[in-house]
Amino acid sequence: MGQYLPILALLILAVLFAAISFVASGLFAPKRTTSAKRAPYECGVEPAQDTPDRFPVRFFLVAMIFIVFDIEIIFLYPWATIFRQLGLFGLVAMFIFAFAVFESFVYLIGNGALDWGPVKRAVRRELVDPGRTANTTIRRVGAEGRMEFDDVDTRTATPGEAA
Amino acid sequence: MEAIVFFVSAAIILAGGLGVIVLRNPVHAALSLVATLFGVAVLFIDMEAYFLAAVQVIVYAGAIVVLFLFVIMLVGVDKAEDIYAEPIIKQRQFAALAAAGMLILVALVGVAFAGDVTGQPSNEDMTISRAIENPDGTTTPAETSNINQLAEALFTDYVFAFEITALLLTIAVVGAVVLARRPKGDLQPLPDVEPSWALRKPRAVTPTEATDPSAGDDADQDPDETTVDQAATDGAETDEAKA
Amino acid sequence: MPAIFSLDPLFLGDAGNLEILAIVLAKVVIAFAGLMVSVMLMVWWERKFISDLQNRIGPNRAGPFGILQTLADGIKLFFKEDLIPDQSDRFVFKLAPYLSLVPAFLVFAVVPIGGDFSNGGDGLISVFGNDTYVQLADPHIGILFVLAMSSIAVYGIMLAGWSSGSKYPLLGSVRASAQMVSYEAALGLALVAVLLKTGSLSTTTIVREQAGEGPEFLGLFPMPDWNVIVLGVVPFIIFFIATTAELNRPPFDLVEAEQEIVGGFHTEYSSIRFALFFLAEFMNVVTMSAVMVTLFFGGPAGPDLGVLPAALWGFVWFFAKLFVFLCLFIGLRGTLPRLRYDQLMDLGWKLLIPLALGWVLFLATLDVFSDRGWTSGGERLVVTGVFLAAMLVFAGLLMVAISNGKKARERDGEEVFG
Repeated sequence: MGQYLPILALLILAVLFAAISFVASGLFAPKRTTSAKRAPYECGVEPAQDTPDRFPVRFFLVAMIFIVFDIEIIFLYPWATIFRQLGLFGLVAMFIFAFAVFESFVYLIGNGALDWGPVKRAVRRELVDPGRTANTTIRRVGAEGRMEFDDVDTRTATPGEAA
Repeated sequence: MEAIVFFVSAAIILAGGLGVIVLRNPVHAALSLVATLFGVAVLFIDMEAYFLAAVQVIVYAGAIVVLFLFVIMLVGVDKAEDIYAEPIIKQRQFAALAAAGMLILVALVGVAFAGDVTGQPSNEDMTISRAIENPDGTTTPAETSNINQLAEALFTDYVFAFEITALLLTIAVVGAVVLARRPKGDLQPLPDVEPSWALRKPRAVTPTEATDPSAGDDADQDPDETTVDQAATDGAETDEAKA
Repeated sequence: MPAIFSLDPLFLGDAGNLEILAIVLAKVVIAFAGLMVSVMLMVWWERKFISDLQNRIGPNRAGPFGILQTLADGIKLFFKEDLIPDQSDRFVFKLAPYLSLVPAFLVFAVVPIGGDFSNGGDGLISVFGNDTYVQLADPHIGILFVLAMSSIAVYGIMLAGWSSGSKYPLLGSVRASAQMVSYEAALGLALVAVLLKTGSLSTTTIVREQAGEGPEFLGLFPMPDWNVIVLGVVPFIIFFIATTAELNRPPFDLVEAEQEIVGGFHTEYSSIRFALFFLAEFMNVVTMSAVMVTLFFGGPAGPDLGVLPAALWGFVWFFAKLFVFLCLFIGLRGTLPRLRYDQLMDLGWKLLIPLALGWVLFLATLDVFSDRGWTSGGERLVVTGVFLAAMLVFAGLLMVAISNGKKARERDGEEVFG
């Protein structure tokens, strides 16, 4: 227990330091608050969107696989302290365990759950005149006959919208 | 000294546990859970189970509650839900009944095993866990840690359980992927979510929004929205969260 | 005193309670003050060094060479208005700076910063007749304490962003917590490699194991017995990259990527609350550098070169090594561009973690087989070759999985896990 006394003392000191800082700042700092100051920060303009309240489920999967690895690591620590006494038996045990963890990791990656980058997808645009059109000012030289591939993703194929 | 630490950490645990139940905001409840777990870690230190204390903080506070918080942020339930809605009919009565039954059970077990429930020190003669004053004036310092004994038990007698844990973790990951994955094929119409690009006034909570948690979500929903546009919107939302 | 007993003997002796308490308090106050001063100097040095890299002068007004600039900035922040946004969750908003600052302080408690480890010294110093280590505490969990604190530190950032009730902090904090969580796994795995060699969690033991002479360099002269050499450089590199990401230092500072999300999680914080986040961030840089010095570079262990008293050389070596690391962090900031989020996640999950796991198993396999008598060069080569072949199979499996994942994503669209 005594070994943890200095840590406790440092904890108390750190908390006191932060608390005293807040009190001191409360005494010294001016209080001229306005509702504009207390509004959410939006680079000086009126907030146009609400804070998003949903996030991609990918974050959840990252936390999930982290738990798995965290538990593996927690098992590795005691193993690492006595792995020489355990010898080959312990080594094989750990290999089996590591393989099982690795397997779930591979499963997760194989499903694309840890991919974050933008997806490259072919998008079908309307066939447009090679000249300028009302949709775009870019001349599509030689676009005729090139957009006829079939395996493209048509779900987001709204005219003029790039993926 | 140990008694003081015990009572302080027990107080933290109880306060945290109460907080989990009582606080309406899920994030506050998750924080109370962290307080409870921290209290348990202190209790472990008090009982000289040092490695378990570290595990308690690293795994439970550091990983599992972070997962809870992700879920809370993910689903966007970080607002007080309507506490008077009862998804299961008469659930309050059932809960009270179950709690009473549990209390009686605990009391019965407590009476039946009175005196035996505290168990024995796990390391009777295997190691010295306290400093010992020798007769000749020297002191034998305490053993570094019980981590070695834990490892020995885990990787010899309980090695099968240890391997099964890996299987359990794999199943958990597969389950998470299956649950999180949206079905393949044509996109189903998505649940009614307000398009994130819709320009809105700075948030002013209307009375309907305050009482009905779902009212805010589909209030501005454009009935002409097609599935295609919703998919595009969803993609945009994803990009935004990543940005 | 046998090597495995590395608890601070201060609490094992028969000194009076009051005397122990006085020593503990003195150590704590010195550590606290030293940490604050070193952070102050660190911030000043970072600004000076980076302005040199960028051909600027940097701070040069407050004190000689501008050395008091950090102090001046800190004092200024006390006099700034403290704003709490209307949409914030007030309790959590006020709590978050504590959760960030306190772990930053506590990590330092287990770092040995001095003591004489040369010639088999045990690093003890004597204070008024009481032996003690030159570190605040050497608890049983030792180095795990660092991991525990860094997992608590995630909360400070996560809750700061969430409680602000504003979109940039929230985006920053979700991003940050996923990043910190990812790299914590790599950090923990690299740490296992150190434990394989020392077999003890105690930081003092880890330092003591690294004192003395290690393997010969091409048979010419002995190298120090530092873990960075003995374990092969890989665990150290993984640990260093993971630490940089844990600390949200460039090039992994997506958490506060100014161009995208303003200030990240502390956008809504002002005045002293902001100052405490800032303090915690730089304190973490100092303490994690110290942890790396302890784990891989022998901490205060180093030769006793005379001139100074032996006990002082520990401090000299420790601070010299620490300074190198701080300069390294600043150099990274000055030279590398920021990673994209997908690059960051790919680096952590698809390279560092499998590599760290493989390396740990490799070291363990070598040791176990050399314990079984496979000690000659040829036999070790066989073990290495077989292990490498097995690992190549797994690496191939991982590659297939990665490309499958990419394909699945292109096929199903990114909203599958959106």
